Amino acid sequence: MNQAGDVVTETAQNIAARASAKDIEISSVTNGTYDADSIQVLEGLEAVRKRPGMYIGNVNELSGLHQLIFEAVDNSVDEALAGHCDKVSVVLHIDGSASVEDNGRGIPVDMHKKEGVSAAEVIMTRLHAGGKFDNNSYKVSGGLHGVGISCVNALSDWLRLETRIAGKEYTQRFQRGVPDAPICEVGPTTLKGTRISFLPDRSIFGITDFNFDQLTNRLRELAFLNRGVSISIHDERDERHFDFQFEGGIASFVSFLTRGKGAIHPDPIYIHKVIPEEGVTVELALQWTEDYKEKLVAFANNIRNNDGGTHETAFKTALTRTINQFAQNEQLLKAFKGVLSGDDIREGLFAIVSVKLPDPTFSNQTKDKLLNNNILGHVQQAVNDGLGTWLLEAPALARAIIGKSVDAARARDAARKARELVRRKGALESSTLPGKLADCQIKDPAQCEIYIVEGESAGGTAKQGRDRAFQAILPLKGKILNVEKARFDRMISSQEIMVLISALGAGTADDFNIDKLRYHRIVIMTDADVDGSHIRTLLLTFFFRQMPQLVERGFLYIAQPPLYKIKRGKNERYLKGEPDYESYLLNCGTQGTQVVTATETLEAEEIRNLVSLTLEYQRKRDRFSGQNDPRVIDAMIRELPLSEEVAADPPRFVEWVQALARLLDERYQDTNFDVPAVLVPSTDEDAFDGPYVDWTTRHMGNLKRTRIDGGLLKRRTFQQLVQLNETISTKLGPQFTLIGSTKESVVLTNADALAEAVLTGGKAGQTIQRYKGLGEMNAEQLWETTMDPTRRTLLRVEVDDEFNADALFTVLMGDAVEPRREFIEENALNVSNLDI
Amino acid sequence: MSDKPKTSSCPMCKKPAERAGNPSFPFCSSRCRHLDLSKWLDEDYRVTTNITDRSLPSEEEDE
Repeated sequence: MNQAGDVVTETAQNIAARASAKDIEISSVTNGTYDADSIQVLEGLEAVRKRPGMYIGNVNELSGLHQLIFEAVDNSVDEALAGHCDKVSVVLHIDGSASVEDNGRGIPVDMHKKEGVSAAEVIMTRLHAGGKFDNNSYKVSGGLHGVGISCVNALSDWLRLETRIAGKEYTQRFQRGVPDAPICEVGPTTLKGTRISFLPDRSIFGITDFNFDQLTNRLRELAFLNRGVSISIHDERDERHFDFQFEGGIASFVSFLTRGKGAIHPDPIYIHKVIPEEGVTVELALQWTEDYKEKLVAFANNIRNNDGGTHETAFKTALTRTINQFAQNEQLLKAFKGVLSGDDIREGLFAIVSVKLPDPTFSNQTKDKLLNNNILGHVQQAVNDGLGTWLLEAPALARAIIGKSVDAARARDAARKARELVRRKGALESSTLPGKLADCQIKDPAQCEIYIVEGESAGGTAKQGRDRAFQAILPLKGKILNVEKARFDRMISSQEIMVLISALGAGTADDFNIDKLRYHRIVIMTDADVDGSHIRTLLLTFFFRQMPQLVERGFLYIAQPPLYKIKRGKNERYLKGEPDYESYLLNCGTQGTQVVTATETLEAEEIRNLVSLTLEYQRKRDRFSGQNDPRVIDAMIRELPLSEEVAADPPRFVEWVQALARLLDERYQDTNFDVPAVLVPSTDEDAFDGPYVDWTTRHMGNLKRTRIDGGLLKRRTFQQLVQLNETISTKLGPQFTLIGSTKESVVLTNADALAEAVLTGGKAGQTIQRYKGLGEMNAEQLWETTMDPTRRTLLRVEVDDEFNADALFTVLMGDAVEPRREFIEENALNVSNLDI
Repeated sequence: MSDKPKTSSCPMCKKPAERAGNPSFPFCSSRCRHLDLSKWLDEDYRVTTNITDRSLPSEEEDE
């Protein structure tokens, strides 16, 4: 009994069966043959019909109904595993019956010694009778419950067995498990195999409609698990049909699971190990993806073990060890000090562990967990050898996999730190506030603000200047790292980040809790220079990413310290930024002036507009795709316009280029404007884009390369420049007179000269100081200009609803300084002026 | 600015990050948010400046 019963040793129904079956007979086993002698008779079928749930699962659910088919399929798959069969087909018939057919050896029909009936009839009618109870006939055996085909028979309204064996076909029909007649020969056949057709008994099953999709899923799984075996399903009710046959076996299974998941390596890693002397097969297939979840499914003898077991444990430990060993040997763990955990390594991993072994033991009836210890070493060995070799042979992919694991480990580590930060705060509350923080007296967050101030000295000034009732000051110094001679990196130190998080009090990342925030106004105050803008960029990026709620709730602000201090006599005034400064100078510079053109006299306001447009023109021109020489662009717009016709006509284009070169060469004596070579693409092809030049010149020490062609004329900025110049020059004409406030007059010929004269006039009679940093102001000045709620201007940081976070972050953290700055200015922040 | 208002790409992995109902926004997942945090804590994030750029007047005017 022990030997025979291993497959289901601890199952309840077996214990029940044993208890009630006093007349069990075990026949002797003849080696390696499959005939009536090797069938062991255990029980009749009455018990099955009385308590079907114990044998087949829930009869009111699809799982129970489908188990009828799977019992038959499992027998066929067992035949396949034994090497006698390569085709299994399932058909769902219109009358509600199903049939399962294979091309195996056929069920034997010779007479059973003790029972006095055919072996086939014993198999079909005696509980727990079947070749699979005997290790010699089948090496391995599946079947979820292992109750055998007799249960299917017992629970079917009718069942028809057709078996083709030794050149003859036999058939036998049953009703509710009882044979109509002994098995009879139908006639000769050249085929072999078994076909079992049955109609589930409606008096037993609450549900009798087979579900095609569910059946298909399991049959597909079986086809994956049994490489090369063809399994088909056909539904006669609606002619749906699937044929499964996977030469890749479980490797195909993994590919199937990773569809659309972004595989890191193109093909699954497949490891196959056979230990013939133990009748054990280990198959592993694994593939890492961009996903963050893991999916690991373990099978023993085609049974899915939802709780894993020894094979899964062995796989996991060996995987962790092998990857860590490889990573250490190849020195891939620099970015993360420590050992990669199993979870980190399995992030994004899709893997199938499939073992086939004789006498599998499971923890429970549904076989959720495999218990066999003898499989441990084999699985570990397979991982060590197979995966180890793969990693060595594909170093680039191995690095990608380990890089992902390292990222996972770092993320996990950071999550832990974030949690600890919150926990530590909770326990000790305000006593853990950072020492650098000068907190305010009021505790109500809605009334409180915190200034994050760049630099210790400005921080000191702000501490003196603040209203300590509701204003807290946190000095923050950027850390500078001189990477090379020509560049330096600015960052916020790890220490400062921690200080920032604890000062705000709301935690960070997933543990961020805005209700714990200690200030409802968080004001970033940095110097008005490049360093300051970089620190601000870093802080904003940090807040956007780790505390986006601050931005969503409108709690984040940027202070607006003055950029200029202007002193005229005893009067002092502060100006926030360049636009303010410019309009101030324009106002001063145009007061009481007139411009007399050929056609009209312009008064101060019109002059202001024209100069303002001119300054806009100059800025746009100088910024126009950094590569271009602004002098060339300027001359093209103001003096020697290029028409589209000329741009498309090579000879006239050449003339135009020569004229432009002469003009520039004459004007700018310090630069050598050689006539550039005009390149003309082949004209007889459709691809003709017109002639062009790439003009290389040197401007203010920088090499510029200006591409002139028809395409340049179509660019938006270029057309805007043309438009601006048009407006200005139409108004001013080729020559005009500027009459100053003291009635002195000067004749001018272009708008640049007018702008210069106006700005110079605007500066006259006053002292202008440009603040380079917050430190140049004393406490009182800082309070008056930047911190006093009645006088200051704060910019509220908002994110446009339609912002593209990707562009934002790429640009913020990109290599190029220029686009980054532009992005901050123009797009990243939709800052609204608030006078608070 | 963006074609799709409600989705942007995750700053870490560049996969789509939903805005609505995603507590990890602007990241796609908590995992990516924590990886980002680890980079702050490891001082991986830097703004690079070329010293020559700094001396350019245009940079000064910029503010």
